[in-house]
Amino acid sequence: MNSILLATLVLFAISSFYFGRSKIKKVALVRSIEPKALPKFYGYYQALWCSIPAFLIISFWTFFEPIILKNLIESRIQSMSLNELSKDELNLIYSQIVSFSQGTFTGQISNGIKSGVETYQSLLSVSQGAKIVLFFCAIIIASLFSFNQINKNVHARDSVEKIFTIILFLSSAAAILTTIGIIVSLLFETIQFFTKINPLDFFFGLNWSPQKAFMSDPANMTAQEAKDLREAFGAVPLFAGTAFIAFIAMCVAVPIGLYSGIYLAEYASNKQRKWGKPIIEILAGVPTVVYGFFAALTVGPFFRIIGENLGINVSSESALAAGLVMGVMIIPFVSSLSDDVINAVPQSLREGSYALGATKSETIKKVVFPAALPGIVGSILLAVSRAIGETMIVVMAAGLAANLTINPLEATTTITTQIVMILVGDQEFTSAKTQAAFALGLTLFVLTLILNFIALRIVNKYREKYD
Amino acid sequence: MKNKIKAKGVSVFYGEKQALFDVDLNVAEKQVTALIGPSGCGKSTFLRCLNRMNDVIDICKVSGVIEIDGENIYDKSVDVVQLRERVGMVFQKPNPFPKSIYENVSYGPDIHGIAKDKNHMDEIVENSLKQAALWDEVKDRLDEPGTGLSGGQQQRLCIARAISINPEVILMDEPCSALDPIATAKIETLIDELKSLYTIAIVTHSMSQAARVSQYTGFFHLGKLIEFNTTDKLFKNPDNKMTQDYITGRFG
Repeated sequence: MNSILLATLVLFAISSFYFGRSKIKKVALVRSIEPKALPKFYGYYQALWCSIPAFLIISFWTFFEPIILKNLIESRIQSMSLNELSKDELNLIYSQIVSFSQGTFTGQISNGIKSGVETYQSLLSVSQGAKIVLFFCAIIIASLFSFNQINKNVHARDSVEKIFTIILFLSSAAAILTTIGIIVSLLFETIQFFTKINPLDFFFGLNWSPQKAFMSDPANMTAQEAKDLREAFGAVPLFAGTAFIAFIAMCVAVPIGLYSGIYLAEYASNKQRKWGKPIIEILAGVPTVVYGFFAALTVGPFFRIIGENLGINVSSESALAAGLVMGVMIIPFVSSLSDDVINAVPQSLREGSYALGATKSETIKKVVFPAALPGIVGSILLAVSRAIGETMIVVMAAGLAANLTINPLEATTTITTQIVMILVGDQEFTSAKTQAAFALGLTLFVLTLILNFIALRIVNKYREKYD
Repeated sequence: MKNKIKAKGVSVFYGEKQALFDVDLNVAEKQVTALIGPSGCGKSTFLRCLNRMNDVIDICKVSGVIEIDGENIYDKSVDVVQLRERVGMVFQKPNPFPKSIYENVSYGPDIHGIAKDKNHMDEIVENSLKQAALWDEVKDRLDEPGTGLSGGQQQRLCIARAISINPEVILMDEPCSALDPIATAKIETLIDELKSLYTIAIVTHSMSQAARVSQYTGFFHLGKLIEFNTTDKLFKNPDNKMTQDYITGRFG
């Protein structure tokens, strides 16, 4: 239904454009006046007037129709029923009515519901009819209005520009509002979680085993179970695991990325740079899940075999494998950013150093690198925040057991892995275990936010210096 | 007067484009030689040939002979690093390193291993800054960043940096073009003092500056050296009609 209306609207809008454009030419010719804008702006003017009010009507209708219908039907069911129905029962009956009238319900239904279905369908058809009538009314009235305005030779360009500004503003507002929405929902669930679990136990507890909390019934817990629950959500092993794997990743990514950035910026010929940089940036576009199974199926077993030959016990899921592959994933990120930063160091500094008889490597080591250092630190911090937020590689290659260990050959787990493990499959949304995922998510969010904030501050400060 | 630098038949190409045509020019020892001419005439290109700064640019090719004390600096056996140790340079825009004032001056002696110990380094830094007439202004804040100084002070810091490794020749590429008249006057006085110790070649846009500071002047136009003479002669009674037109402001 809506798609047909929208298609109609698009057709109307397109023809309105040509109509408005030719209209102003005719007006100008007949009355020999100068139009206040180019003809195409009158086309846009007519098209926007034709489409925006009608589009708003469809959107509002689509949004509010089910809500209003539901309220009407539910109040009718309530009045027909002998005893007081709970909200859940009303919901159930209503969804039965809806699915029956859409033909997707196949069970037995009672007479009461049957009459409900009839009411629903008649209300629905009234609503649909009203929508179509309003839709066309809106098109006609608005088009007539703008037609009249064009006749008066209005400032069409000003209005059109204003509307485009509003559309652009709404788009950017949508992005920001969504982020705020995410934070609020995280915050809400996290607060729920912290009413059950003491934040101190969460942030400083050394034992992570959320499945314990799943077994106990919160209504009549024994002292032992309460103690178990308290000890189930100590997130320190996850924080430690995350930091540890990120550390291994940075040990790989920082030297290699930095050196390749220096090579690209200082030593590579123009041709090498032209080819090399895009290739490295393509690496950054490899889906992380591909890195993930590379880590899990190739690197992990490889380390285990080496370990066996050396007589060391290496688990096939290890922090080392996950960290190494994650490091490889981040190399292009560090390399590309540090290349940019090094390139931003003014050529005059290099020349000043060469003129003193410094060699290329001395110049890079003592002049270019220190000058680029703030920017490089910023790019490394951005890379760290990617490393701790990375999920697929660690889910596939790092393991699930929350070991508090600094042995890179053992399995470790991270914040992101545990969030995945908790939320995969059917979950009870009120259990502490599920809500723990939100608390972890919020912690991760705040961590990366702080890192990004610091990194961007450093990078910006550095940019100001040379511009 | 002994000639420190002798250039014979120097041509420079940037890719296909020829920037300098067959230039013969001598720079007298412990004198100031000025190179003047309109923008794009090749005077800076020529200056940058004297310490092979053009090597940094990939597409730049230099032909001809440039001798310093009788040795061709474009000879294969010449080490560019050693050449630049002997021929220092000061650039158009002050370009102090983003380091402290002290480190800016100690950089050159440090990479060439000139200073025997910390005391010796302090001495070199102090002497260089004194020669550059900057010591009194910065002696109490040697730890502060060189980029925090004023434009004129930064340029004198760059001069101190250049003389810290005790070069024989100092090349100056429009050293005052980014400075105000007072800072310019200080640098000009400084150049006059430095010429007792160093051979100086200076590129300048300002003809009055060339007249004030130099003993010899070369006039470049469209990549060719039009006239080379003592400054006195070139400005009062030039041999070439084109030079006459340029210095009287008829073109350029």
